[in-house]
Amino acid sequence: MLRNNIISAIVILVIVQIFSSCRAKDDHPGVEYAPNMYHSVPYEGLSQITDESEGKWLSSRIDEKGEYFNTNVNNPHNMNMREPVPGTVKRTEDGYLPYRIPKDSVELAGRILTNPLDSTTEVINQGKELYARFCVHCHGENGQGDGKVGVVFKGVPPYNVGRVKDLSEGYVFHVITMGKGRMGAHGSQVSYEDRWKIVRYVQTLQNQN
Amino acid sequence: MKVSSCCWRLTSLAFTLLFLLISNISFAQEAGDSEIPSDESVISSGETLFNNNCRVCHAVHEQVVGPALNEVYVRRPLPWLQEFIKNSQKVIQGGDEYAVNLYNQFNKTEMPSFDFSNEEVLSILAYVKSETEKGPAVAQTTDAAGGEGVAAQPGSTVDSGFVTAILIALLVVLVLILVVLGILISVVTKYIKQKSELNETDQEIVDQKFSLIKLAKSPGFIWIVTFVFTAIVLKTVIDGLLTVGVQAGYAPTQPIAFSHKLHAGDFEIDCNYCHTGVRISKNANIPSPNICMNCHSGINKVTGATESSKEIQKIYDAIENNEPIRWVRVHNLPDLAYFNHSQHVKVGGIECQTCHGPVETMEVVQQSTSLTMGWCIDCHRKTEINSQGNEYYDKLVELHSETSKDPMVVEDIGGLECAKCHY
Repeated sequence: MLRNNIISAIVILVIVQIFSSCRAKDDHPGVEYAPNMYHSVPYEGLSQITDESEGKWLSSRIDEKGEYFNTNVNNPHNMNMREPVPGTVKRTEDGYLPYRIPKDSVELAGRILTNPLDSTTEVINQGKELYARFCVHCHGENGQGDGKVGVVFKGVPPYNVGRVKDLSEGYVFHVITMGKGRMGAHGSQVSYEDRWKIVRYVQTLQNQN
Repeated sequence: MKVSSCCWRLTSLAFTLLFLLISNISFAQEAGDSEIPSDESVISSGETLFNNNCRVCHAVHEQVVGPALNEVYVRRPLPWLQEFIKNSQKVIQGGDEYAVNLYNQFNKTEMPSFDFSNEEVLSILAYVKSETEKGPAVAQTTDAAGGEGVAAQPGSTVDSGFVTAILIALLVVLVLILVVLGILISVVTKYIKQKSELNETDQEIVDQKFSLIKLAKSPGFIWIVTFVFTAIVLKTVIDGLLTVGVQAGYAPTQPIAFSHKLHAGDFEIDCNYCHTGVRISKNANIPSPNICMNCHSGINKVTGATESSKEIQKIYDAIENNEPIRWVRVHNLPDLAYFNHSQHVKVGGIECQTCHGPVETMEVVQQSTSLTMGWCIDCHRKTEINSQGNEYYDKLVELHSETSKDPMVVEDIGGLECAKCHY
């Protein structure tokens, strides 16, 4: 009688343990309901399963690989995403052409480039918002080079003094796009138009006292 | 006379030579050192000039973009320094050997020309000299960073500490109550035994001894234990079943131990800086290594550490070998549900943390919300439309306000339609 009770208690505990292990934790993504719906058949850009045997137990694939295997073996490094063909020109809504001034021609950019956006309050406010996203951690809230990263990174100039104060809009635009000195190129992160908006806001910081 | 004049000439020549030699030696040893002023006012004006013009590329005790400037006034003579600072390209093109070597050593990075007067250059050098003599302030900076780290922590530790303290206090109170009750019982039984005359049944009760086995066999106790056991089992089973297909809590090990707490929390880097797709695309995107390199070109170790970080080295390796970094995806919606980041973040103005939880406090990112359909629907029922300054919603708001006084939520404009997300 007692032994039976103990055995049934153990059985129940084991069942409980099994059910509680459905939960996702650390490296374990948890038990999936209808896994075929969660694992994409087409190649996914941001998730990739490189293990050929994964999901073999329910596989219906004719190549006998696991159901979840999701890797484009024809691409370099077996990546699912592919880089655009070299020389590809990005088509933009507003027809801006790719930026062609080379990195070391910053003086030239400073002379010839002009901001296509007017200095309106709206543009400056948008610029400020973008500045807070992309610049503030190094250049600091008021462009003093005192952002939390800037202090550790070193070599971030204040905007409103010395040589930096008088830099032209084209120069600032070129530096954002291509980088200069220790600053990296941010052209891949910020769109053409947004960069000019940031320039408008940076100019207000250059002119502060 | 002739001899004496000859002697005099010789001695004067010797003196001149000696003087030249001495001045040369002192020149070589100290260069312009002796000419550099040490007044407080000059140093402070030099500091301002240095911070405004030089700090971008130079530090006194370490190499930044250009060389470290400590003892530069010893290495080079003053006129050379003045000429180089005013127009470095002129000196380099003039073929000065030291300048050309320096230029090549620093990857032909041009130092811009500065329109300084000689006095201004001197004041900058005065500042550099005073800083050189102070010595590098390494300990100070690590202290400051360490302080920051410590200051950032208490928020979380205080909370959990507070809760445990309360729990412990409650436990102590409960034990005290038990002890007091036990004492009361023994006192009362003693009192009853001594004083009063009892009948048989009462006597039995008073003489009764506390027995664990008896208690364990009593039907009340068995009932309570069975109830608690079944309740716990049922709760675990139901909870377990409810987590099937829900990945909340998933925190996979990533190929690089990237800490969102350090980057987004301590250093306050905006989410948008790295996840650049979030406002323009369906996906928020995982940053490519070139975005890492915007900062990690110059930072290769954890603040305060002496050795370069192995984790940061992995980025350099990936770039060098032109190999992708295989990050493990944490949040994943099945293909049957459509979700667009830009619609929610740019148009709706939803904070990242609403769905992703406090990522800026996570050392390892984990999925903190359930991402189930019920969770989506719940939010669509509650969330007001961010219609300010968005013409698209003008007519809809107008129509909605004709029939209802409540603010327009996502549900009101078809946010619960099946085909909004499933198609």
